[in-house]
Amino acid sequence: MRETELLVIGGGPAGLSAALEAASNGCEVVVVDSDLALGGQLIKQTHKFFGSESERAGTRGFEIADILLNELEEMKGRVSVFTNTTAESYYRDTGIVGCMTNEDDYWCIKPRKIVNATGASEKILPFHNNDLPGVYGAGAIQTLMNVYGVVPGKRVLMVGAGNIGLVVSYQLLQAGVDVAAIVEFMPNISGYWVHAAKVRRLGVPVLLKHTIIEALGENKVEGAWIQAVDENNQLTGEPQKIECDTICMAVGLAPTVDLLWQAGCEMLYVPELCGYVAKRDTQMRTSHPDIWAAGDAHGIEEASAAMVEGRIAGLGVAHALDHIDRMKFGEKLGIYWKRLDNLRAGSTGEKIRCGVGKCTCKCWEVD
Amino acid sequence: MDSKKVDVAVIGGGVHGCSTAYHLAQKGFRTALFERDYISSGSSGRSAAGLRYQFGTEVNILLAQYNMKCLKTLGEDLNYPGDLEYDPAGYLWIAYSETQLEQLEKNVRLQNELGTTGSRVLNVREIQEVAPFLNTDGMLGASFNQEDGHINPHTLCFAYADAAKALGVEIHKKTSVTGIITKNGRVAGIHTDKGDWEADAVVCCAGAWSVEVGRWLDLEIPITPERHQIMITEPVERMKHPMTLCLDDGSYWKQCPNGTFMLGVGKEEVKDTSYYASWDYLDSATERILPKMPILSGIRVVRQWTGPYANTPDFQAIVGPTPAEGFYIDCGWSGHGLQFAPSVGRIMAEFVNGEKPFIDVSMFRYSRFEEGELFFEPACI
Ligand SMILES: Cc1cc2nc3c(=O)[nH]c(=O)nc-3n(C[C@H](O)[C@H](O)[C@H](O)COP(=O)(O)OP(=O)(O)OC[C@H]3O[C@@H](n4cnc5c(N)ncnc54)[C@H](O)[C@@H]3O)c2cc1C
Ligand SMILES: Cc1cc2nc3c(=O)[nH]c(=O)nc-3n(C[C@H](O)[C@H](O)[C@H](O)COP(=O)(O)OP(=O)(O)OC[C@H]3O[C@@H](n4cnc5c(N)ncnc54)[C@H](O)[C@@H]3O)c2cc1C
Repeated sequence: MRETELLVIGGGPAGLSAALEAASNGCEVVVVDSDLALGGQLIKQTHKFFGSESERAGTRGFEIADILLNELEEMKGRVSVFTNTTAESYYRDTGIVGCMTNEDDYWCIKPRKIVNATGASEKILPFHNNDLPGVYGAGAIQTLMNVYGVVPGKRVLMVGAGNIGLVVSYQLLQAGVDVAAIVEFMPNISGYWVHAAKVRRLGVPVLLKHTIIEALGENKVEGAWIQAVDENNQLTGEPQKIECDTICMAVGLAPTVDLLWQAGCEMLYVPELCGYVAKRDTQMRTSHPDIWAAGDAHGIEEASAAMVEGRIAGLGVAHALDHIDRMKFGEKLGIYWKRLDNLRAGSTGEKIRCGVGKCTCKCWEVD
Repeated sequence: MDSKKVDVAVIGGGVHGCSTAYHLAQKGFRTALFERDYISSGSSGRSAAGLRYQFGTEVNILLAQYNMKCLKTLGEDLNYPGDLEYDPAGYLWIAYSETQLEQLEKNVRLQNELGTTGSRVLNVREIQEVAPFLNTDGMLGASFNQEDGHINPHTLCFAYADAAKALGVEIHKKTSVTGIITKNGRVAGIHTDKGDWEADAVVCCAGAWSVEVGRWLDLEIPITPERHQIMITEPVERMKHPMTLCLDDGSYWKQCPNGTFMLGVGKEEVKDTSYYASWDYLDSATERILPKMPILSGIRVVRQWTGPYANTPDFQAIVGPTPAEGFYIDCGWSGHGLQFAPSVGRIMAEFVNGEKPFIDVSMFRYSRFEEGELFFEPACI
């Protein structure tokens, strides 16, 4: 059976950063990712990133992925990568992880430590016909357009006016696809103002306090019914018919934590982090002494924070495996936390700070 | 702590606890059932969901006749609105060695003698008729009963629990029993993490966890919990295939009504009630099953789970009153107890009511271990 010092599950910004940090400190690392290419969400993101300079604000998402992958190339001797490979089971009695490559090659690996950087999964709303072909998650539409160069349809109804709904609407427009409307259940737009301004300028109506109630069509989407909601979140007024052949759901993400549940990590429901997450200490270690997590899998945030969390987790593993001494570990940990705190400063970071506060303990009683 | 009062307290919300509570309520006992987690969370909901006439000892065969009759129409009889997924797809016990075949022949003879007419011994050609996808290479023969089959273990428990509730039984979920109260040498109630209950009788249906319950009354209930694992595949088109069991290597597999295949193997396992699965189980199960059922190769396994068998020294249940007055047990069902809920639930209510059980189960008595009166069930994996 294959063995390794560190298994990183998920090769998005968090996982890659964890792998880089651990490998640069001397760890032997295996990275597995379900996708055909590394980079996670980054490779579909053609827009310039927000955030602070030190976390690559102003750079486009896929370019950030390239930077991380180039760094990884330099660590080649220590890092092995398996793409098209899903880690799908964790066995508590032995610490063995079962992996599936290419849907038919099952193999097992016994790592000494694990960083779970599995990102997030999209939420979906219940409404009539929500399983019709033509109803997509925003992530799928981004992948179709920005990775494979395929447009999903001719006219899209976007559900959700958070950053993802706004950015994907804009990208659809750029690709020549009509956006019929953006409906948003809440009374305000939760995404950044610049993203909202861009789509509004192009004439897309943003209908606040509206929701989708039904998708129309026999075998594929041929339209949708939407309706307004009142102060008590009850449907009100006459339903309105929207002409569209595609419905895009951008109604939020939830951390992907299946393997952490399997491993028996202590889990908490933290609404600010968008779902169940593992309780962790300040080096991102879960209650399981051999398992760390980072990025969206530790709470929905941003690529910038995911990269720093990944760094911290990788550092923690390097320290736990005695690749770096306590002093250097403490020093670097302090630097990374300063960067994280910067990212989470101000009013925009308040929700995250509150969520992280709920599930972070100072130190597990493990060492 | 405020005290509540019932006639009978039942410990455990598995299929035996739920059926026992239902039958007690039918007799007019004010009954409360206590389940530490949720209904069917123990072995019941983790079982292979099999039902059969084919047993190898008289008492089990007679009880099975009653069970099988009840299970066929249980959903309607209990007014359960859900689906019990009762599915008589048959049970086929295959043999590769003379000794196993002889045992199967013996079982069938006993079943036939006791009135189970549907069981018969098949030669290889007849096996191919009832299970056309089986590779019969090396097989010597089999025993078969078309009326054996499958039931949904969760809805089975819920059906009994709901019926019990409709008769006034209190069902306390997420409530752990933590001790038994005694007064003047007899049972007087229970302690739970949600307070105490007074009760004239306590029935222990705590499955593999019964050992701990017994200790509260200084009874040594000789159960060794043993982890067992099961895997389930993605669903495929329904094919003609009965539940197939192989005593030679402990493997068994069947297609469930929803098209998924269930794969199991009874082998040397961890002796505790933990729910951790092991990575090498995939290999041990597929190595045994795929050569016998080649059509399954390439089907994807989607899930694996574990549950404890409540094994006794002779793999037979422990049923009836105990030396502790007012304390009754129904546990130790090893790996075949799901299907015994109809008969044994009724019998437990009869015991508590001071009646003679409608089928003699005295060989299941608690004292048989002390007396050295073990009797082994040959038809179990
Ligand atoms: C439209 C949009 C716009 C955004 N804009 C910004 C922005 O401007 N600035 C910013 O900082 N952030 C932005 N983000 C957020 C950012 O993309 C994410 O926060 C970030 O990608 C999270 O990184 P991650 O490594 O935790 O997860 P991901 O990038 O999601 O990577 C997780 C990886 O794990 C893999 N994986 C999952 N499960 C398994 C498994 N069991 N086995 C193997 N592999 C597995 C997945 O295939 C994936 O590659 C945006 C997101 C979206 C969708
Ligand atoms: C893998 C596997 C396959 C099987 N296959 C079959 C099959 O095909 N056919 C068949 O007939 N049988 C099968 N069995 C056996 C069958 O599952 C059991 O014999 C049967 O379910 C026992 O039912 P029970 O109600 O006695 O126990 P359980 O279902 O285990 O119920 C006991 C309950 O008591 C609760 N409990 C324990 N202690 C306390 C306490 N202190 N306070 C409150 N609650 C407590 C537990 O949480 C549990 O829910 C199988 C078992 C396993 C593990």
